[in-house]
Amino acid sequence: MMEQPLTIVSWPKAILHVDADAFFASCEQAVNPALKGKPVVTGLERGIVAAASYEAKARGIKRGMRIGEVRRLCPEAIILPSDYETYSIFSIRLFEILRRFSPDVEEYSIDEAFVDLTGLRRLYHSSYEEIGRNIQGTILKELGLTVSIGISLTKVLAKIASRHRKPAGLTAIPGREIHLYLKDLPVSEIWGIGPNTSAYMKKLGINTALEFARKDEAFVKRHFSKPFQEIWHELNGRSIYPVNPEEKSVYKSISKARTFTPPSGDRNFLYAHLSKNLEDACRKARRYNLFARRIILFLRTQDFRDEALELRLTRPSAYPEEILPLLRKGFESLYKDGTLYRQTGIILGELVDSKSSFQLSLFEEPLRIERLERLYTVIDRLVERHGRGILFHASSFDAYFQKQHEGERGTIPSRKTTPLKGETLRRRLGILILK
Amino acid sequence: MDRELKERVRRLSQFYWKTGRMPSYSEMAGLFGLRSKNAVFRFISKIEKLGFIKRDSKGKLLPAGIAEPIKVLGIVEAGFPSPAEEELLDTLSLDKWLIENPTSTFMLKVTGDSMTGAGIFPGDLVLVDRSLTPKSGDIVIAEVDGQWTMKYLRREKGGFILEAANPAYKTIKPKKELRIGGVVTAVIRKYR
Repeated sequence: MMEQPLTIVSWPKAILHVDADAFFASCEQAVNPALKGKPVVTGLERGIVAAASYEAKARGIKRGMRIGEVRRLCPEAIILPSDYETYSIFSIRLFEILRRFSPDVEEYSIDEAFVDLTGLRRLYHSSYEEIGRNIQGTILKELGLTVSIGISLTKVLAKIASRHRKPAGLTAIPGREIHLYLKDLPVSEIWGIGPNTSAYMKKLGINTALEFARKDEAFVKRHFSKPFQEIWHELNGRSIYPVNPEEKSVYKSISKARTFTPPSGDRNFLYAHLSKNLEDACRKARRYNLFARRIILFLRTQDFRDEALELRLTRPSAYPEEILPLLRKGFESLYKDGTLYRQTGIILGELVDSKSSFQLSLFEEPLRIERLERLYTVIDRLVERHGRGILFHASSFDAYFQKQHEGERGTIPSRKTTPLKGETLRRRLGILILK
Repeated sequence: MDRELKERVRRLSQFYWKTGRMPSYSEMAGLFGLRSKNAVFRFISKIEKLGFIKRDSKGKLLPAGIAEPIKVLGIVEAGFPSPAEEELLDTLSLDKWLIENPTSTFMLKVTGDSMTGAGIFPGDLVLVDRSLTPKSGDIVIAEVDGQWTMKYLRREKGGFILEAANPAYKTIKPKKELRIGGVVTAVIRKYR
């Protein structure tokens, strides 16, 4: 029974998943030959590892590890501050290359994408696997980056395939071979299945992805909610999740957080950062015409404990002016004198899109809201043109005029410190610079 | 040029820039807010005459005017199509002229004086295209001892050598494989 294929159709659909290998570290190695073949780590400014090159991973360095620990483990490691400007240009180029092969490209994250290749075999006179190799070769040649590729019938399976062999791997799983790849895969490794669900599955006697896929539909419907029923279909080679080529504009939540060193216990400094987090988050929400009903504020202590509080608004808003008084109250009840904090953050949740989709309550003064809308339209335009520092709420003042990091954590990427002639801090050439 | 037409051309151009292909007739109907494909056809014929698009031998749509960002700016707020406008429709942005392959072009700031004979000086910026196949006589960027070095690529006795454009530098004969980072396609020197 376990040896039987889950489906006998080879390629009813072909979905490719691209995952750039150790993306940030690889970008650094691609522009700077001095870093090739060496253990490279990014994230110096955050104090924890954001990305580690494969050479660094081979020495036991992992994402999220503290920089101090990296130094002890691997004194020769090259530790760099994150240069998001460079990484995002690489990312844009990566997606552009993919769009040359198929118009259906979903930009899943900065270094991951799904591509729908269904029906393109005839156009390229080659198998899906060969198209995958071609994509891999083009990315290596033009960007100097290696990517891992998985091709299968559904997104969930394509993701399993791309993880199967890394780095620079390529795995194609046709319908009749799905069961071979699911046989030894723990359920916790499936995209969309978290620690809670995998613990629950264990109680039902399901340990591997194949055991889950082999359950009959009635069983799955009885025990699992809709998202997991969908994953079950996807594991069986029936595509439920489409590749969505639209630009990412739907956010479930928006979060803005800031870490600073050394940790601080200064009430005003901390509140200023929280206020700035709120302004940044609201600005992003307004850009997508979104308004939040829930606001979570959190403070992270020096020893990595999070203390959080949720604010509920009577009416969705994206205007700091009316949220700030609530934020102040929330902060005061969260903040403890004498505690050192290393991070502040804001999460906007329950986002509704555009004001038209909610009703103003009878007691609101529409005029006041209209005034806010006009005010923030002007602020947004000013900020877009001149940068965040041009106009902000006075409550954020300390966050703007005190350095975020002191000591070596204050290191900024060289792209920022050495502008080319004619460039400014805010306006830079959108091109990758070799070092 | 009427506003509606301008808006539709803008949407068409946007679609082309976003997806890198021309839309299908049904996609265009959605794009232009038209119900029938016949209406789309009429509109397409109209803008074909205006030079925004063209067709290949099989009648497939190809981008013409819409493929240049500057061109679309060229038609903004114009009353009638004028000869001056037609001129504008053929301009090439400096970006496009300098950078033929945007996804594979990198920039490098020159540090040494080994290429002064070729007119490339320290402080100059060079554009490097990774997607081109290097030929003998090209100026290339190569990886030598963990650093980028810029030299002429020359063929010599079956192998390749790297030759400076400055007599003070010796020719490099790579012992192992030669790792070329790209072909130099332009030099930029900005004075002020």
